[in-house]
Amino acid sequence: MVIAVGIAYFAVIIGISIWTSRRTKTARDFFVAGNGIGLIALTVASVSTSVSGFAFIGGPGLIYAVGLGAMFIVLPASVTNVMGAWVLAKRMRLLGEARGLLTIPDAIGARYRSRSAQGLSGIAILVGIVGYMATNALAMGVVISAIFGVGLSWGIWLGMSVTLAYSVAGGILAGIYNDVFQGALMATASVLVFLFILNVGGGLGDISRTILAADPTFLSPWGKLTPLAALSFFFVFAMGSLGQPQGVHKYYMLRDPLQLKWYPLLKTLGLVLVLLLYFAVGVGVKAFVTSGRMATLSAPDQATPSLLLSITPLFLAALVFSGVAAATMSTVNSFINIGAAVVTHDLPVAFGQRLKSELAWGRTATVVIAVSAALVAQHSGAMVAFLGIFGWGLFASALVPALAVGLNWEGATRLGALASIATGLIVTLSLEIASYFKIFTFPSGVTASAVALVLSFLAFFGVSWLTRRSAAASIDPDVRMIMEM
Amino acid sequence: MHSKAGVEGNSTKRIARLVVTLATCAMAIAYGSAFMPHGAPAWASWLLALGIPAALGGIMVLGATRERGGVGKLALPFAFVIVTLAVGFCLVLGLPATEGPGSSLFLGLPLRAAIVIYGIGLMPIVVLPVAYALTFDTQTLNAEDVERVKELGRIRNEATNSEGKTVDASW
Repeated sequence: MVIAVGIAYFAVIIGISIWTSRRTKTARDFFVAGNGIGLIALTVASVSTSVSGFAFIGGPGLIYAVGLGAMFIVLPASVTNVMGAWVLAKRMRLLGEARGLLTIPDAIGARYRSRSAQGLSGIAILVGIVGYMATNALAMGVVISAIFGVGLSWGIWLGMSVTLAYSVAGGILAGIYNDVFQGALMATASVLVFLFILNVGGGLGDISRTILAADPTFLSPWGKLTPLAALSFFFVFAMGSLGQPQGVHKYYMLRDPLQLKWYPLLKTLGLVLVLLLYFAVGVGVKAFVTSGRMATLSAPDQATPSLLLSITPLFLAALVFSGVAAATMSTVNSFINIGAAVVTHDLPVAFGQRLKSELAWGRTATVVIAVSAALVAQHSGAMVAFLGIFGWGLFASALVPALAVGLNWEGATRLGALASIATGLIVTLSLEIASYFKIFTFPSGVTASAVALVLSFLAFFGVSWLTRRSAAASIDPDVRMIMEM
Repeated sequence: MHSKAGVEGNSTKRIARLVVTLATCAMAIAYGSAFMPHGAPAWASWLLALGIPAALGGIMVLGATRERGGVGKLALPFAFVIVTLAVGFCLVLGLPATEGPGSSLFLGLPLRAAIVIYGIGLMPIVVLPVAYALTFDTQTLNAEDVERVKELGRIRNEATNSEGKTVDASW
């Protein structure tokens, strides 16, 4: 049953990819879907790419391990989508309209009239992408191996090959329509698992009473984390969402800018549906293990697989496994596309060059990036988890002040943006590496991502204030008009 | 030439920027205090509990404010969400830990957990995206704005094509 559903899933992906590849003719089609995606498709695709395999595997495992404190990672979803809409969506979509922009570094370059800011932000994105993709490639390998029993290495390469095939053929257009299918699958699987757990556990009240009898700390607001650690999660994942390229890049693609009106509401509702599984599996498995209905887990990450293999009906298990594959593939596809745009567009522009055929070079870069990420995933062992955290934190600290604040504050300067991006890149890189190699241990509740994000903000505000006389010269008239809207 | 007021922006934006800056400083102090010999003091969590809603609220106000005018009808939903987050965080920090086998449950969860999940996690969803949609035409974007930008794009394209080169940017 699981294999049959898995094969059906891949058949749909291949079908969509063949259809969309015929519609991809230009670099604009390849990188921003020709600015022609409708509201519903873009919303579902955005939900799909925002939620990686972590929400289905690592997240529930983290709740199982540390309790309710792990919810502080996903709670910001209540504000992040609408915050992104106010801060970034309108201005980026209008910049796309006025300037024909393709990438996030394009927007930074246009805002500050700076090729160096565009290039540096492109480098930060590229460095973060390799880590983030490797994490998702590994998760993809785990799931495909679980479905087809092919082993981890073959799982990584099979998953990456399918994702690569549709990324090369149809670029972001294929990615978007596959994301729509994958997002619908993820939401369906998540809701069904949520309802199934409530039903088996006798409702949330009974599940809570079972846990409270054995481990009350689990259901305290911070779980087994310190308040500082849980609140740090909230801060980094709320503010950091404004710098996640897989979400921000989507703003360029909406066909009609006026459709942004319903985008945050629909995306928030979609995210809530997809994240039901995160909460239900984490808390449900804890109750089931406590009551003896499930065996003790060998590792927290086994929460979802163990639940699926020991309690849920086979069809639901197959649906969720396909949902996890969908979550990882949609995220990987999005990052492949964004990385290819950096290599073929942003870095040449930073050096004052334009490639003659961005579409052909985009397809080549797509292959190189995907193969690199698969190799990193295959050979980096425990370092993969580190790379995922590093990637997320790097996007946040390098991009949020320069992009999110910069597009809304005319007093921000080119040097302020450069200082902020460089601070994010250097601080995240040095602190994460020092922490990984145990050269340095952070105090409880403090993470490299949080420190880098705070320092990047301070560098941005501080340097912009020191160089404020040059602020007016940093903005072209059309960009200023869009910023003032 | 741009006037100083043009660069500095309007007063709502200035206040929002100040709030974001102060909130960031508060969070920097909270993180810095964790490096003290005995770890983070209790007040560090309170700085984050107040700093996070302030920073997020400030960023939202910064994004929603149009140059000619403030946040208009959005003031109320913004205030509601900032207060909800701040009160929610402070309540779960300040209320005694009563979770145990005999705890009263609210919608299936102990009190402090219910505040986190339903208050902080779900309440803003009921208000913010709806407020965004209802005020979109007046506060965020309308057909006239889009047409102005499209016209700007057309002029820019014509200028670029006639000059035969792209508009260069500085390093």
